[in-house]
Amino acid sequence: MRATRRLTVAAIAAASALSLSACLASPEQGGGEGGGPDDPIVIGVSLPLTGDFAEPGKGVQRGYEAWAKHVNENGGLLGRQVELVIVDDQSNADRVASDYERLINQDGVDLVFGPFSTRLVVPAAQVAQDYGFLFVEPAGAAAEVFEQGFDNLFYAAPAIADDHYDHLAEYVLALPEDERPKTVAVASMDDPFAQGTAYGLRDKLADAGIEVVVDEVYPPNTTDFSGIAAKIADSAADLLIVGSQYQDGVNLVVALQQQDYQPQMAAISGAPTNAEFPEAIGDKTEGILAPTGYTPTAPYPSNQEFVEAYTAEHDAPPAEDEANAWTTGQVVAAAVEAVGCADPSPECQEQLVGWLKENEVETVVGTLSWDAQGRPQSAHLIQQYVDGEIKIVLPDDVKEADLVHPKPAW
Amino acid sequence: MTGALFAQCLVLGILLGGLYALLAAGLTLYFGVMRVVMIAHSAFLILAAYLAWYFHERTGIDPLLSLVVTVPLFFVVGYGMQRFLVSRLRPISLTTMSVLLTFAVALTIEGLLGFVWTGTQRRVQLGYSGMSIEVAGVSIAVVKLIAFGLAAVSLGALYLILRRTSFGRALRATTQHPEAARLVGIDTDRVAGLGFGLGLATAAVGGTALALDYTIYPSLHWHWIGPLMAIIVVGGLGSIPGAAIAALLLGVAASLLQVPLGTTWAQTVFYLALFVTLMIRPQGFFGGRLAQRF
Repeated sequence: MRATRRLTVAAIAAASALSLSACLASPEQGGGEGGGPDDPIVIGVSLPLTGDFAEPGKGVQRGYEAWAKHVNENGGLLGRQVELVIVDDQSNADRVASDYERLINQDGVDLVFGPFSTRLVVPAAQVAQDYGFLFVEPAGAAAEVFEQGFDNLFYAAPAIADDHYDHLAEYVLALPEDERPKTVAVASMDDPFAQGTAYGLRDKLADAGIEVVVDEVYPPNTTDFSGIAAKIADSAADLLIVGSQYQDGVNLVVALQQQDYQPQMAAISGAPTNAEFPEAIGDKTEGILAPTGYTPTAPYPSNQEFVEAYTAEHDAPPAEDEANAWTTGQVVAAAVEAVGCADPSPECQEQLVGWLKENEVETVVGTLSWDAQGRPQSAHLIQQYVDGEIKIVLPDDVKEADLVHPKPAW
Repeated sequence: MTGALFAQCLVLGILLGGLYALLAAGLTLYFGVMRVVMIAHSAFLILAAYLAWYFHERTGIDPLLSLVVTVPLFFVVGYGMQRFLVSRLRPISLTTMSVLLTFAVALTIEGLLGFVWTGTQRRVQLGYSGMSIEVAGVSIAVVKLIAFGLAAVSLGALYLILRRTSFGRALRATTQHPEAARLVGIDTDRVAGLGFGLGLATAAVGGTALALDYTIYPSLHWHWIGPLMAIIVVGGLGSIPGAAIAALLLGVAASLLQVPLGTTWAQTVFYLALFVTLMIRPQGFFGGRLAQRF
């Protein structure tokens, strides 16, 4: 049985090697006693750094780290330095809950920031709620996030998923009768955020009498999109709506191109705003529309500062995930500065929550305010690939280019 | 379902089934030759896909050319893995222990891929990614056709090696009756090592084919190993033609069922087929018991 034992040990060693990085990233923190004026403010975060959401998860990580660095270089928060404790939840909803449990209970962090994606935000927010912690999150925009009865949650972005496409829906419905799409095909990842965004547009168009001819949902781990593409191509719908995360959007677009499907309009949430998207798709991005909560060119006061600080460090401008992470930092910082405390005590956390419910915050995505459930009260910008670059096309007052309709063939 | 959609899905199913067939052939070969359940097969598949991607990224040359390096490399690695790891397992518990061993190998490969190339999804960007040929109203993507061609050629080569060479005869003899094979002078240890190398070489071909048309990431192999395991059981463990037929049938079934059932449920066809096989014909539908035939 020696062989058995040796193998078991090897298997355990391999498994622990995989989780080692997560452990290394979370040094023991003893800042649970409120912290003196010289102690850093410790902020706990769990992020999907591996697994299905690794790509956007790392974007959020970059955003948080850039924000912390920027704050520390500018005198810190309440005169104290900011220190992030970031652990990896492997895109796993069970793990994310225990991560926050540990951050709050054992590591004794002063504040928490939210993880990426609705599926992870809900369990994480529940833990924060149980401990009375303020929970500002960068990426949980689906309707269900705000229907759980959380009173400590604030979404640090301009709009919830259902409202992302509001400007585009208005534009489509205002088109003259002969230019307006008659049929629409929808494909979305089985994910509350992706579906919320896509279905927001679908339902607004369907209510106005546009026929939904394909309505597909695929699991997050889907890699072969040729079947869905075949269905969409067969329907020859005028308008395509895709609710994607990242890689699924890329794969679906390529599969649609392989079957020579040419819609008049392609609205794809998720993938196109990713910096890697044009690289992955090649020169076939022209005309693709995407809602975005953020763009580096947006004319908000603190945005320039953010873009400069971020670009100096990463040699590339920030994307939406980075921006929402930075916004989360801004929102929490505004509350902390206004209330004058940053510790885990229920009194302090309660004051922070109360302040955010009553006030507006200037951020890199505009001025934010929230309703009682934490829904932000604005709408998303609509971007389009025009001449090979992604530009704001809606709404009219901030547009960088005119919306191209119908879209060129891809 | 319209006729055009049916035809399109049928063709897509055959193209996908071809790739499944090649990969399942490798998997069933290990089992046939050595009674080894090779969980790491699809991890090597993803490794090969990463090597193809990296090769393309660094040189700009078509990823298909990476086969020149990866096929011999994987053959050697497979031979080494059999001789220095798998053959050290006790024969009596070989099959069960091989699951644990190859599971560890799969985790190690996944971890290393993540360590070296991060968890970021990668995609080979080719000028012809989106191109297709239209035949009678059915679009056939060029990359899928190439992948299918690679799979067909490799399967054919594998068949010829097993049928027409003395090594192939020795391999089949080892599969059928190791002791008798040793009695007639076959070095079964060496043959088993070479057989393992051959199986891993098919993963190199499959991985390169995969890289042409899929986004890849380190944990992708878990999505492949389940259907592949189901395929070789349905086809009859150890039977290469059985694996190929089962792969094609299930690939087509999954592709066609996707239209009425949607993507989520279509995937279950592999496991349903597995359950039905175990209930009705546990030795598999196309091979004999442990597949004496090739």
